Order: sequence, then C-alpha cells, then structure tokens
Amino acid sequence: MERRTFLQIAIATGGLVTAAIVAIPVIGTALSPVLRRESGELWQPIGALENFPIGQMTRANVTVPRDDWSQTLREKGLYVLRSSNAELIVFSRNCTDLSCPIVWDEGSNCFFCPCHGGIFSRQGDPMKGPPKRALYRYAARVRNDTVEIDLRSVPPMA
Amino acid sequence: MAKRWRTWISDRFGLRRVYEGTLNRRVAKSSWYYGDGATLTFLLGVLVVTGMFMSLTYTPSPDGAYESIRFITEKQVLGWFVRGLHYWAAGMMVVMLFFHLFRQILVGGYKFPREGTWLIGVILFFAIILMSFTGYLLRWDERSIYALKVAQHMFSRLPWIGESVVVFIQGGTEPGATTLTRLYAVHVIFVPVLLGLFVIWHIYLVIIHGVTSQEERNQPIYTASQQRQLYRAQARSREKGENFFPMTVFKSGLMATIVFAIVLTLTLTLGPQRLYPEADLTTISRPIEEWWFYWYSGLIALLPNTIAPWFVVIFPIVLFIILILLPFIDRSPWRGFKKRLWPPIVVGICVIGILYLTDLRRRSPWTGWPDSEPPPVPAGVVLSPEAEQGRQLFAQYGCNSCHPISGHGRKVAVDFGQIERRLSQDYIRDYILQPPEGIAMPGYRGRMSAQDLERIVEFVLVAQTFPRSQ
Ligand code: FES
Repeated sequence: MERRTFLQIAIATGGLVTAAIVAIPVIGTALSPVLRRESGELWQPIGALENFPIGQMTRANVTVPRDDWSQTLREKGLYVLRSSNAELIVFSRNCTDLSCPIVWDEGSNCFFCPCHGGIFSRQGDPMKGPPKRALYRYAARVRNDTVEIDLRSVPPMA
Repeated sequence: MAKRWRTWISDRFGLRRVYEGTLNRRVAKSSWYYGDGATLTFLLGVLVVTGMFMSLTYTPSPDGAYESIRFITEKQVLGWFVRGLHYWAAGMMVVMLFFHLFRQILVGGYKFPREGTWLIGVILFFAIILMSFTGYLLRWDERSIYALKVAQHMFSRLPWIGESVVVFIQGGTEPGATTLTRLYAVHVIFVPVLLGLFVIWHIYLVIIHGVTSQEERNQPIYTASQQRQLYRAQARSREKGENFFPMTVFKSGLMATIVFAIVLTLTLTLGPQRLYPEADLTTISRPIEEWWFYWYSGLIALLPNTIAPWFVVIFPIVLFIILILLPFIDRSPWRGFKKRLWPPIVVGICVIGILYLTDLRRRSPWTGWPDSEPPPVPAGVVLSPEAEQGRQLFAQYGCNSCHPISGHGRKVAVDFGQIERRLSQDYIRDYILQPPEGIAMPGYRGRMSAQDLERIVEFVLVAQTFPRSQ
C-alpha cells in the first residue's frame, strides 16, 4: 500500500471511531426516555365513588406519577360519566383530532373542542369537525368505593 | 497616521481579504425588494441578542419558567421591551421568511447555479419555523402547553415510530421537567448553532453566485456557465452593475430598517405577547396558536375529516420534498414571468389562501362553546313573557353554544335571526326533539320538558322575525 493511501485511511478511520465514541453515547442519552419507557398498567385513584352522581357528567383530576423533579403539571383533568350505578366512563380531556382540551357543555350535552370545531356527543362520539374517532376512555374500576383508572390504558397523546 | 493604523489592523487581522470578498465587489443591480434576505439576517441578529439577554433570567423548569417570564416582563428594567422585541421580531421573521420564499419562487432564485443556495435555504426555512414554534412553548402558559400537545399529536401520527417520537420529544410519557429542558436546549442551543452555520453558508453562496439579476429574468439561459458570463458582464457594466458597498447595502438596509421600525412600533404599542394563565392540564381553557400559525390551523378545520388527520403529517413532509426537488424539476431556461406563468399563479393562490385562512381562524366560526349569556334582543323588539323565557332557556339548554341570533354568539349552526326561509312551529319542535340523521345536533327528547320545548320554539319563531342587520 502506498504511504499516502495508508495515511488517508488511517485519518478517516481514526476520525470515524472518535466521532462514534462521542456520538453514540450522546444519542443514547437523548433517547433515554424512549429506551427506558415503562409499560404495564398504572392505576391511580380519581376520587370516591359517591363523588360521581348517577346520570351525570363530572369533572375529575388524576395525579400523574412522574419521576422527574418538577412540582407542577402533576395533575390531569378528566370527564367522568356515571351512566348507571355500576357503569362509569372516564373520558380523556384531549380532543382526538389534535389534543386540544375539550369542554363539556351541560346545556347541550356536547363536548366542544376549542381548536378546529370538533364536537363530541355525551358518549364521546365525534359529531362534527376533524375528529374521526371517539374520545379516549380510560380503563376504570372501583376499589373500596374509590374509582381508579389505568393511566396507561390510553395512548400517550390521549 | 490614521491611515497607517487602518492598514496595520486590516493587515494583521486579515480584514483586507474579508473586505474585498464581501463588501468591496461589483454585483448586478438589484431592486429594493431584494433586501428581504438582509432583513432576515438582521432580524436574526435582533433575536439572538434579545434572546441571549433573556436567557440571563429565564428558568427552563416547569416550576419557574412562567414566573421567570413574568419577572422579565414586570420587574426587570426594560425587560418588557426586550421581550417585546424578541416576540415581534420573531413574528416578522416568519412573515419575511414567506416573503423571501415566495420571491425566490417568483424570480426563479432556485435555478442553476444557485441550487445549493436554495437547498440550504430550505433547511433554514424549516429551522426558523421550528424556532418560531419552540420559542413560544418556553412561555409555559396555557397556549404553550396545548401548542406542544397539538404538535406532539401530529408527530404521533407518524407510522410505527409515532408514539416513540412523542415520548422522545417530551422526555417522558407526560409533559414535565424534562420536556421543558429539551425544548429550551433545542431553542437556545441546538437549532441556533445549526442556524448560525447554515446562515453563514447561505450568505457565502449568495456572495459566490450572486442574486438573480434583471438580465437573467429577461432572457433564456441554458447553462450555468452562460449564467455566470451574463452575471459578470452586468456586475462590471456601469449601468447594470453597482458596488455592493455602499449601494446594495444601503438599499437592503433600507428595507431592514423599515421592517425594524414595524417591529419597534408593535413593541411600543402592543408590548410583548401577554402571558396567559400558567400551563396546567386541569382547568378549562380556550387556547389558540400564535398568529403566524393561524392559517395552518384554519386549513385543518376546513379540510374534510377524511383527509385532515393525515394532512397535518403529510403536508410538511410533502412541502419539504417539493421544495427540495424544485430546482431539479423546473430546469427551464426562463426565470422571469415571461415564459413562466405558474409562479405568479401559485404564489398568488398561496398568499390569498394564507390571508383568508388567517382571518378565518381568527374568527373560528366552527367553534362551539358553552355560554351562559342568552342572546341579546334587538333594540325596539319586545318579547312576550313566553318568548322571553324561551330566550333564557335557549342559553340554558346550550342552544347558543352553536346557534347565533342576529349575528351574536357562536356561529357553528343556523342563525335564526337571519334565516332565509322561516321554519314552521312543528318543524322546529320535531327538529329539537330528534334532529335528522347526520346532523351534528343532540336530540333533546327525554331531557326537555314539554313546556320548556314550547317556550324555546316560541323564541325561535320570534327570532325569525327579528329585524335583519344588513
Ligand atoms: S384539536 Fe379538536 S378539532 Fe382539532
């Protein structure tokens, strides 16, 4: 091999190896939230059963356990419809179009989205606007007269 | 003496070459509106300086971000001014960015030998849009948090990797401390560094290839070398060329100054963007994106819902691909309008479309919202007691969440005060109880008493006779 070619290859290899030693770990660190994402169920209480009157839509909050260090944004709003004694529907407050925060209108029994005109029925079905699918529903259960929901039962954007 | 010092400095610091290579050169004469590039560079400078000084105080943590911005605005000496300049310079930057893009399309600025300049410009375009977005997320008010959610939701639609991308951007499955540090790093380190490098590269290429000259727009040019010859001839000529410094600099500087005057005026009159309530995922809110994104939001609302969800993901990608491919697709020898009709048409449609959608989004006639205030009665009209009760019930049953009366209220559904063909009593009654299939209105059967129904019908009947506002 010619001396010149050898030096070129040496420089290229050395450079690439050094770059990789720096680049791979930093990318790994940046990807950490994805690589260490926890799965499985995550049940959290949202209030006593008696807080949810039968036949009514009630607002509730759920505390989101997080392992970071900030104190704010630990709570998320929800809508709970207790349609009968045993049946509870826990709606996510995120519009299924692009996640704007929907509002319940007691008068018309509809959910309105503030962004692009999404309107949902009392059952969470899309009635108008861009949303195509129904509002996300959390898996819910009652334990010791307390309503609990599984935070991981809906996708991250719901 | 002074001259000797000047020579010494320019020699020892190597300024001579820089001066010869940038300022002291002949270029083809250009029109005033070619100052948009310089204006963008200037605005970038304003943003860098004001941004740097805000970062002295800003705290990239959800617990302190909002309050630190309040502090900058309210307590810091001239903090409101610095923030105002940053905000309005950013808004104007987006406006000028579109101006620049459209102008280049109009004059064929992407054509040989300027493909490289164009491609780097495309990257800059997306980088600046990203900056204009991440910037207002840092405010961490309700607009920020929901803007973040909306953008995240768009990413979540990417096939296969959608959810992971969301978690990656957010730094977790829920927004929190790691979200804000990420956004902050992207806004003040990652993108600015790249932006700086690419801007320098972009300008370097502009120096090498020049800007599309008048002659190039007047005649067909078939090769890059032909273009170079033509350009050089113009630069050298007395009438068609000029010295970059001070002639061109003065003209571009004029445009930059005018735009800066606008930024300054807006800052002094309107001040920095007001802070909405702090980010929070529990209270009811009606967020809206920053005004330079209105048009996109309007577009999403207008598209039929079979397309809209995919459109939001595909549009930026398609736009990127089209812009990247443009110089390779359009290789015709013409650059002006003479033989190129499509650019003025496309750009015209885009500009009108953007303005129209922006206004539409500002009004958002598609948004229903609860409102406890019953519709007002026009002056001079006296309602019967039944109709008056009906008016109250009209709000109580949320009819006014969608139906305006004589132009007042939300405009999602029919305005009974301005209806074309009056509806009969029976028709209204049946409609309220059970709207026809496919109509986005809840049926009230079973949850409205017969008396309430009659009162509301009465009010609607009367509303149909309200005097028309022209
Ligand atoms: S986010 Fe609800 S309609 Fe677009």
